[in-house]
Amino acid sequence: MTSPLPTRLRDGDLAVETRGLTKRFGDQIALNDVTLQVPVGAVYLLVGPNGAGKSTTLKVLLDLVRADQGMAEVFGLNSRERAPAVRANVGYVPERPDWGYGWMRVGRLLEHHASYYPSWDADYAARLAQKFELRLDRKMGVLSKGQARRVHLTMALAHRPPLLLLDEPTDGLDPLMRDETLGVLADHLAESQTTVVLSTHHVEEVERLADHIGVLRGGELRAQMSRADLDAGLRRYRVEVPDAWPGVASLNGKVLRRVTAPREVQWTVWGPEAEIVQKLSSAGGTVREVVPLSLLDATLALLNPND
Amino acid sequence: MLISLDPQDTRPIYVQIVDEVRRALVLGTLGPDDPLPSVRDLAVKLRVNPNTVSQAYRDLERQGMVYVRRGQGTYATPGQADGVERHALADGVAQRALHDARRNGLAVDELIDAIRSHNNKRQKEESQ
Repeated sequence: MTSPLPTRLRDGDLAVETRGLTKRFGDQIALNDVTLQVPVGAVYLLVGPNGAGKSTTLKVLLDLVRADQGMAEVFGLNSRERAPAVRANVGYVPERPDWGYGWMRVGRLLEHHASYYPSWDADYAARLAQKFELRLDRKMGVLSKGQARRVHLTMALAHRPPLLLLDEPTDGLDPLMRDETLGVLADHLAESQTTVVLSTHHVEEVERLADHIGVLRGGELRAQMSRADLDAGLRRYRVEVPDAWPGVASLNGKVLRRVTAPREVQWTVWGPEAEIVQKLSSAGGTVREVVPLSLLDATLALLNPND
Repeated sequence: MLISLDPQDTRPIYVQIVDEVRRALVLGTLGPDDPLPSVRDLAVKLRVNPNTVSQAYRDLERQGMVYVRRGQGTYATPGQADGVERHALADGVAQRALHDARRNGLAVDELIDAIRSHNNKRQKEESQ
């Protein structure tokens, strides 16, 4: 008996929901039957290697890319049929911040952006501009990746949208500005009712902010769950075993990783701890350590099982 | 009171926050009726999801370590720094030590003997 990795959340109000999203670019499958579920108020971390489909998923939500099959909804609004209404509810930081407006000065771009959003909070925008050390007289086209990212963060946050879609929000930022950005996000969450979907390669940075995780690989959503479920269900077991140990038939869980050495084995397993310890012990192993994983280690195990 | 988190600690963040407050109560860095930081301030300082701080504060309130004055904030309950919390703190230290001992293949008695002899050695050094 094994426990499969969960790919569906339990019932609850969803801010974002997709069903069976499939997208091909030529003969490349970008998304394959992706059913994403982001609860209202969640900070949902979308992880996966480059090309896993993270950016494409976010773009489908905004109707910047159209799926071949399946549907996407944001607060119950169909992304394709109600794209303007959806976009009005979303603050978006794109992965590549080079979408036009290169000739526009930063200050002018912020004013331009503000005019589209009735909820634009000018005081907040000014505070963000100061925190992010924006230089309002510079032209967008000459900004570094990190500078452009900070402009986009300001544009995304300052109208206090109910949904933030942040694609690699700290990419290109120096360590100080990354840390500052995490503080800005924590502050924003405390002040505004916000749901966040965030994709990043820097999992350790958002370890303390994320409360849900979705694992994308090769366009497929391999796992999707709350942090509470992840913390409760995933463990690393370090076990001393006798010489020429025959192994254990079944662990009552999904083995993600197994590292063997003479007289010692380390398992990373998704499943019920007590039953797994019991199985290991009755098979002749001495369980030396059972530990939960950091979010980064959990992500690596989920993304790249080696068993 | 300072609340800081150990990046190596893999226990849930809210549990770590609860433990930090408990320690501050026992050490006296958080005195009777002292205010705790607001959820927003602590979340920003620790770069933590504000819901996690709220969860920790609810847990502290449920355990009677803090009380809430509506619209004003969260405060340390007087008279909580004695026996019970001290005991809970010691229990946590013991749990971590036992976990470490087991990982290293040591029996409980070996650990306790080692703690005693190390402590004796240290006291001798300090008195010299």
